[in-house]
Amino acid sequence: MNGGQDVHMLAGAYALDAIDDELERRRFEAHLDGCADCAHEVRGLAETAARLGQATAATPPPELKSRVMAEIGQVRQLPPVVERPGSRHRFVRERTGARVAKVVAAAGVAAAVALGALAYQARTELDQMRTTARQVEAVLAAPDARRVNAAEGQGVAGTVVLSRSAGRMVFLASGLAPLPEDKTYQLWQLSPGQAHPAGLLRPDDSGYTAPALAVPVKGATSVGLTVEPAGGSAAPTTTPLLVMDIPAA
Amino acid sequence: MRSEPESRPDWDRSGGGRSPGLDELLSRVARGDRAAFEQVYELVAARVFGMVVRVLRDRAQSEEVAQEVLVEVWRNAARYEPARGSAMAWIMTIAHRRAIDRVRSATAVTEREDRVARMDVHRPFDEVAESVENNLERERLRRCLSGLTELQRESVTIAYFGGYSYREVAELLKVPLGTVKARMRDGLIRLRDCLGVER
Repeated sequence: MNGGQDVHMLAGAYALDAIDDELERRRFEAHLDGCADCAHEVRGLAETAARLGQATAATPPPELKSRVMAEIGQVRQLPPVVERPGSRHRFVRERTGARVAKVVAAAGVAAAVALGALAYQARTELDQMRTTARQVEAVLAAPDARRVNAAEGQGVAGTVVLSRSAGRMVFLASGLAPLPEDKTYQLWQLSPGQAHPAGLLRPDDSGYTAPALAVPVKGATSVGLTVEPAGGSAAPTTTPLLVMDIPAA
Repeated sequence: MRSEPESRPDWDRSGGGRSPGLDELLSRVARGDRAAFEQVYELVAARVFGMVVRVLRDRAQSEEVAQEVLVEVWRNAARYEPARGSAMAWIMTIAHRRAIDRVRSATAVTEREDRVARMDVHRPFDEVAESVENNLERERLRRCLSGLTELQRESVTIAYFGGYSYREVAELLKVPLGTVKARMRDGLIRLRDCLGVER
């Protein structure tokens, strides 16, 4: 997923719901926001995919109707979405699905925007989340965004996306075991012989972290994740669970 | 000449008659009209359920998912925007995503890889051909699908009906990732043009 050409090739896979990598999909959506032709193409392809879907009608049992009719009596309808700039492809991805929930919504940040769940948040927290979400989006959507994935034993996996033009990188991890109260996960930027603290991470119940933003430190070549005493350390005190190269520019 | 354009499927016809089209019904549903929703149900439930069963195979789970989809249509009716595509496509898109979410969340990665290894490449297409409800639609889809190259057809149908990601499709078909992405795109484009999908 490098140049713009390559991103655009995902239009078919996207319309078929065949991109199972959350970051990759979000990045493609960000691309659609800035590319009216692409959004237009995706609409046509999604419409085509839907025609495939309609080819397979099967009569549902009559109870389904009574269950649905009963349930809607208890479900509040959502108001129309008020048009915001940068949301042109909403038809294509009106999401409430579990997939967003998995990586990002669990994390709460970017997905809260996507799901429109922000109404419930306190105002200041909300602004902060928006800022973070915007910055995460900016990195993911940057034309020079580069990504590295890594997986270690025990199901721990991480992704680093770096954009030199956005001046930031985004780190996501999954498969992290819950820690006792007095421990925390800490992220580091590693340069030869040196480790720079890059923030504390708290996985959710499913082991996913929220996207963590960091400004690349000069000379840093990789990021590492360690377990540290609550509050974090000035330098790593345990062996990293995961070390990943920072993508080359 | 009073015939409908060939490309316009029956569900979308508001026609000159008394029965309102799906678009019109949805805008009533958006205002809380339960009777309109009941009509929407009658128009779309079999298609939603049929597609979901095709993807999930399991009827009990498919009923659950179909119920979620239809309730979501009720909930989100005000958010449907005709300018962005047909109402039927909007509903099928919701349904397909729900089905895929179910496939992906229910299955561990290793199991999925196993499934990829076992999948019968030719089955999705045959099933599509067998299960199309409407004769005209079936013929058109069959004709259009057979106009694709084998790799285009397999890439599109395995992803759509099998719930496979493009990576899984690439592994299954033993072709590079870039090739699969390209075949999904140009396959859908060819299908779109053949079906006369309005853009």
